[in-house]
Amino acid sequence: MFVARRLVLAHFWVAFVAFLGAIFLGEWQMFMRSPLSAWINNPEHYYRSVTAHGTVMAYVLPTLVAMGFGYAISELALKRPLIGLRWAWTGFWLVIVGTAMAAITVALGKASVLYTFYPPMIASPFYYLGVVLVVVGSWIWVALMSINLRAWRKENPGATVPLAMYGNLAGAYLWAWTSVGAAVEVLVLILPASLGLTDTINAGLARVFFSWTLHAIVYFWLMPAYIAFYSIVPRAIGGRLYSDTMGRVAFALFLVFSMPIGIHHLFADPQVGAGFKFVHAAMTAMVSVPTLLTVFTIVASVEIAGRLRGGKGMLGWIKALPWDNPMMLAVTFAFIMLGFGGAGGIINMSYQLNETVHNTQWVTGHFHLIFAGAIVIMYFMIAYDLWPQLMRCGSMPAGLMRTQLWLWFVGMMVLTMPWHWVGILGMPRRMAYYDYSHPELQAQAWTVTASTLGGLLLVISAVLFVYILARARRTHEAPVPYTFSEPIHMPARTPVALNTFAVWVTMMIALTLVNYGWPIVQLASLEQASVPVIPIGGR
Amino acid sequence: MSEERLFSWHNRVVKRSVIALVALTIVSMLIGFIWLPPVHEDFTLEGLWAGICRAAGVPANWGSDNASQAGTSTSVVLEPAMARAGTNAEIGRGATLALNCTMCHGAQGMSRSDAPNLAGQYPEVVIKQLEDYRSGHRSSPIMEAIVNGLSDRDVRDLAAYYAYLPKARTAPTTYDETLPALIRVGDPLRNIAPCISCHGGVDQKLGAPWLEGMPKRYLVTQLKAFIAGTRHNDPGAQMRNMARAMTDAEIDEVATFYARKASNGEPGRAAP
Repeated sequence: MFVARRLVLAHFWVAFVAFLGAIFLGEWQMFMRSPLSAWINNPEHYYRSVTAHGTVMAYVLPTLVAMGFGYAISELALKRPLIGLRWAWTGFWLVIVGTAMAAITVALGKASVLYTFYPPMIASPFYYLGVVLVVVGSWIWVALMSINLRAWRKENPGATVPLAMYGNLAGAYLWAWTSVGAAVEVLVLILPASLGLTDTINAGLARVFFSWTLHAIVYFWLMPAYIAFYSIVPRAIGGRLYSDTMGRVAFALFLVFSMPIGIHHLFADPQVGAGFKFVHAAMTAMVSVPTLLTVFTIVASVEIAGRLRGGKGMLGWIKALPWDNPMMLAVTFAFIMLGFGGAGGIINMSYQLNETVHNTQWVTGHFHLIFAGAIVIMYFMIAYDLWPQLMRCGSMPAGLMRTQLWLWFVGMMVLTMPWHWVGILGMPRRMAYYDYSHPELQAQAWTVTASTLGGLLLVISAVLFVYILARARRTHEAPVPYTFSEPIHMPARTPVALNTFAVWVTMMIALTLVNYGWPIVQLASLEQASVPVIPIGGR
Repeated sequence: MSEERLFSWHNRVVKRSVIALVALTIVSMLIGFIWLPPVHEDFTLEGLWAGICRAAGVPANWGSDNASQAGTSTSVVLEPAMARAGTNAEIGRGATLALNCTMCHGAQGMSRSDAPNLAGQYPEVVIKQLEDYRSGHRSSPIMEAIVNGLSDRDVRDLAAYYAYLPKARTAPTTYDETLPALIRVGDPLRNIAPCISCHGGVDQKLGAPWLEGMPKRYLVTQLKAFIAGTRHNDPGAQMRNMARAMTDAEIDEVATFYARKASNGEPGRAAP
């Protein structure tokens, strides 16, 4: 790396320390509503904790990881020093100040609105301003990624953009457009109410704007993991990437389809018409395409590794895989969790099936399995993989890493499978306590205890993760030069559409206008659509 | 790279992508807006256009007739601005007007009868209740006769005055294990929310009255009126739903709890 080493380290350290704090909150919540503890006397404390846990895990951790990883990719893949280092540090500090502002407001009990902050609940303006600063900081990153790629193109006219950088930019452009929804919601609707300039708010419109961000943001979280699948995993396990083009297609499809589908979060909301709900459901189904492409491509790449290591026959290559390699374990665990979580997601996005699980623990189980499971386990691997470059610390302890990954996988399955189960039985999410003494609930009590134990494994795993990173010491040997995966056949030429973003960004914006234009215009022009705000922690 | 142009109909990748996306959008719109709406059993609209409008979420007759007042529980919309403290002039005017109220609500807003204490009551609570008496959404032969002569400004000034008066010598409820369960945690399976999540303690919701030190008989009467439906000015039916799920013993328990810190005249109470 050239100049971004300390920058990337700063992003990762803040991300993972915040993550460690938030995971303790998560486990505390799980414990407080399990039969192992008495009912919490003040549910406000519970919701305060949920807000802090969600805000850190959903906004701070993935944003910082995506930014830090993005800067690293820019230097490692483009093989040139990062342009705009000072701006990058500005973005970093904006994220830090924003996080601190939001965290303090939440801790004071002035913002127990959960990370989805649905109006008419209104928190202190400092919470929203904090979130806005985090987003503005990340916009600097988006601009820098674009500028760095442009500079590289100028030096390498006509060359194919490295796949890692292509995915990186896809994530950046996706984030730039998707964050517009929540930004409009906060700046135009929520902040005036929070500052006391208005007494009412168009809650239905606000929710539609939030849904604009709410679903695509998960693909922004997911991008670093997918970049790692394509550009790190095959190299790390001694294989080849099965198809470079497939990676580009997957990233392009994510750009087009992850954005205009968020209304599937509003299936139970009466203010949105059933026609738009159906269209969004149908397009949500399309997002499974790039994921299935990715699973196919990566499994094929892993098979190449197995065969290169002497594996024979239809399944013999599986035995020949480097199972003691932490990356091999991680990608396996990630795919298992992605499989269960993805199947659950297809149920969530189906207009009809959603009714059976809407707002139950099932949903919490679903996004923990996908995000905290499949994606965060790849965040761990990104950190492990980059650490020798960042810390110049030599190789990482494989044994400890395997233990950490196993704990995370088992913990996440034990946490989320009971949630799915009780969700089907009807247990609502976002409850501070349940009455387990009631005969109808008593039979479900053990599942909550099980989830608490799963959560405990996750806490141990997270502590171990941070310990592994912290124990790395600088050695005198120079780090092994960093490489990304090599495709098995580098295509002679990459179609210009798959080497640039203009077509996909245009399609993304056009599809957003088609899918969101009318609902927004209609809700914004309805009279008497505003309701009085409900200030949280005001008295 | 060849001189392949990106935004060109001759670019195969672009051409196919655009055609596929447009086709997908049109097909899903046809299904969602044209095919599915009339399939619903409860579909009563006539014509294709009506079906499309419904699928697009356009209210069929929004605004054509003003929402009828008959079935509504209150016409007051609670807004945070109603909760602001009054000016000195408003309080002074309110104090004069309040001379009319002392017979039941006490000279300093602390009732010696079973009428509710008003001292320190939140202003939006007083405004809402007076408005509801005026519009007939809450009934009481005495109150209805009295509020008839009040102007909007009178209502605001009265609220400002009573909010200004010191509350009974009671601290707000804070959590501790000794509180009755219904007040502290409610009963989730019967859909009874904890009292302290709206009436102060965990949260003080706009429009939810200060209950500490209220006469017990007043609280019991009101809860029973909510059950019977003779009082129905809670806009989300929240109190009717809470009260209906409560037993007589529970009503007695929560009323005793909130009345526990003495009202006027009971031993042990210091002057306000």
